[in-house]
Amino acid sequence: MDTLNELLNGFAAAMTWQNLLFAFLGCLLGTIIGVLPGIGPVAGVALLIPLTLNMDATGAIIMLCAIFYGTAYGGTITSVLLNTPGEAASAITTIDGYAMTKIGKAGAALTIAAVGSFVGGTIATLGLVAAAKPLGELGLLVGPPEFFALMVVGISLLVALAGKSMVKAVISGALGLLISMVGIDPVAGAPRFTFGMDRLLDGVSFVAVIVGVFGLSELLSYRKGDQPAAVHAPNLRSLLPTGREWLRSAPAMARGTGIGFGLGLIPGMTGSVSSLLSYGAEKKFSRNRHELGKGAIEGVAGPETANNAHANAALIPLFTLGIPASPTIAVLMGAFLQQGLTPGPTLFTENSEIAWAIIASLFIGNLILLLLNVPLVGLWTSILRVPSSILNALILLFMVIGAYTINFSVFDVFVMIGFGLLGLALRHLDIPLAPMVLTLVLGPLMERSLRESLEISQGDFSIFTSRPISAVLIGLGLLIVFSPLLKLRKPKALNEDPET
Amino acid sequence: MTTESVATKPPSTVRVAPTVLAGIGAFAAVGTYVLVSSVGLGLWTSLGPGPGLFPFAMGAVLVAMALLWLLQELRNPSETAPGIDRGLVVGVVASLVVLAAVMDLLGFQLSMFAFLLYHLKIRGRRTWVSALIIAVAGSFGAFYAFNYGLNVALPVSALPFLNAIGL
Repeated sequence: MDTLNELLNGFAAAMTWQNLLFAFLGCLLGTIIGVLPGIGPVAGVALLIPLTLNMDATGAIIMLCAIFYGTAYGGTITSVLLNTPGEAASAITTIDGYAMTKIGKAGAALTIAAVGSFVGGTIATLGLVAAAKPLGELGLLVGPPEFFALMVVGISLLVALAGKSMVKAVISGALGLLISMVGIDPVAGAPRFTFGMDRLLDGVSFVAVIVGVFGLSELLSYRKGDQPAAVHAPNLRSLLPTGREWLRSAPAMARGTGIGFGLGLIPGMTGSVSSLLSYGAEKKFSRNRHELGKGAIEGVAGPETANNAHANAALIPLFTLGIPASPTIAVLMGAFLQQGLTPGPTLFTENSEIAWAIIASLFIGNLILLLLNVPLVGLWTSILRVPSSILNALILLFMVIGAYTINFSVFDVFVMIGFGLLGLALRHLDIPLAPMVLTLVLGPLMERSLRESLEISQGDFSIFTSRPISAVLIGLGLLIVFSPLLKLRKPKALNEDPET
Repeated sequence: MTTESVATKPPSTVRVAPTVLAGIGAFAAVGTYVLVSSVGLGLWTSLGPGPGLFPFAMGAVLVAMALLWLLQELRNPSETAPGIDRGLVVGVVASLVVLAAVMDLLGFQLSMFAFLLYHLKIRGRRTWVSALIIAVAGSFGAFYAFNYGLNVALPVSALPFLNAIGL
């Protein structure tokens, strides 16, 4: 009953006209980012953080969350209409979605994708509502050693699952941690790795690093012919699916929700894995599996439901334990911290009103996206008609503004350029970027909990193994890191996943 | 060396790509620098762990992983990565460096106008009309939208005569 009351209060706070406007703008911008190939959700969310600088914390996070799950919707549109996924999680939708477009059923495919995304997102948010209290209370029992061990597990999972080589993933993770250590040491107050530069005493700007590593390096890595040609939106003969198509989609949506929700809770798993596994489940369990690949509605309903359920479920570890499950969530966590909010169990005790307003806005945002997505499909595809030379110039404009406005300093623009070149080098060396962004955000929290733990134990490292929860978590982390020696296999899809 | 030739040669005769070797060397060098600097910061104090402890561990990890990667490459060199468009990289990075260098002096509006015009007209080969319209909107328009719409201040010129006319 308490939870219901708090959720209702959250709805009251989220439904002010300002917050509804922020949710609407977030959905709009998120969909645009999802539609545009080349600018992924990680750089997209980081790029738009400056827009929220002068907003109150609730409005800012509502808008950034809406941008985050808006990207999951937007990626579908180009997958269905153009055979070009706007983001990695929608890649599998191209198979049946584009086949449906070719037989004049693009409208039905887009409507089912939008409804499936709404269903998956809403059910996952209900999961967040149900889990928030108990997990939050459990989280309050967690001390510095357990918190450190929990972060070790999160980082181990992402390192183990990212890219093709664990050695390269560990390098990426270590680089992120080292970058996070630049500036004044939080405990002793000593400057570290500042090279005598006063501007580095506060550390390296998180937004400038993310925009450089994910956004600028992506733009720099284009080669001639990489960008799709300008396109025209096909005519949508009918937006409404037939009764039979609704009936065929329902079980696929149910399976997609289960898969996306379950995998969304695991750090390191990306939306692409959920949509791929959902497609696999349709191939195995769907009554019409023989039609998959030829324009079967299940091939759109399942994966699209799964990737949105995944996106919303991935917020559960962030809200309840303070652990980001994916690179985009890590950027979102950075935005929380920038607004003075610490995601995790204390969020529900110290900033309960804000937390519940954000959760309520997730329901509202999913509804807004459902209403926005299909009727405005002509607008979304018209964005793709803008020549790449204009789009790239405008993206560069936003990158510069994004990097500059965090500290109102051109120094951060230089930081962005430097990290853009570093990101390009890492891409060239096939080093995954995801572990870096995660450790960049978690680094200071991880170091603080390690040092607090060792201060409690007066320097005795056995504090991590003598307490049951941290011992189990450390054991789990070690098992994950040494999984290659145990010949444990990871999902093949993760090797080629650009999100990692 | 093409990917095909890599695939057809026996592993023993395939050499590690120079860019990969440079990358491994760079990570090992950064790791070593961090290891040495961390010792100077202090690994342990009378109160417990010092400011150098965590960086020391990360430096050690970086050096160890660089060595492990080198061993992996010597045993089984990775495929050559596709090249980059150097013209694009130089054009974008140089223009960004110039923009960042002059932004405080000339102000956001003029410097961004020139930056966008370069990318739209010279690099993007747009028509003068479209290049000018987008450059004006992206520089002067963005300045007013951020300053007055979002209350986020973009820089004005440090030169008094430009500052006086709001640029």
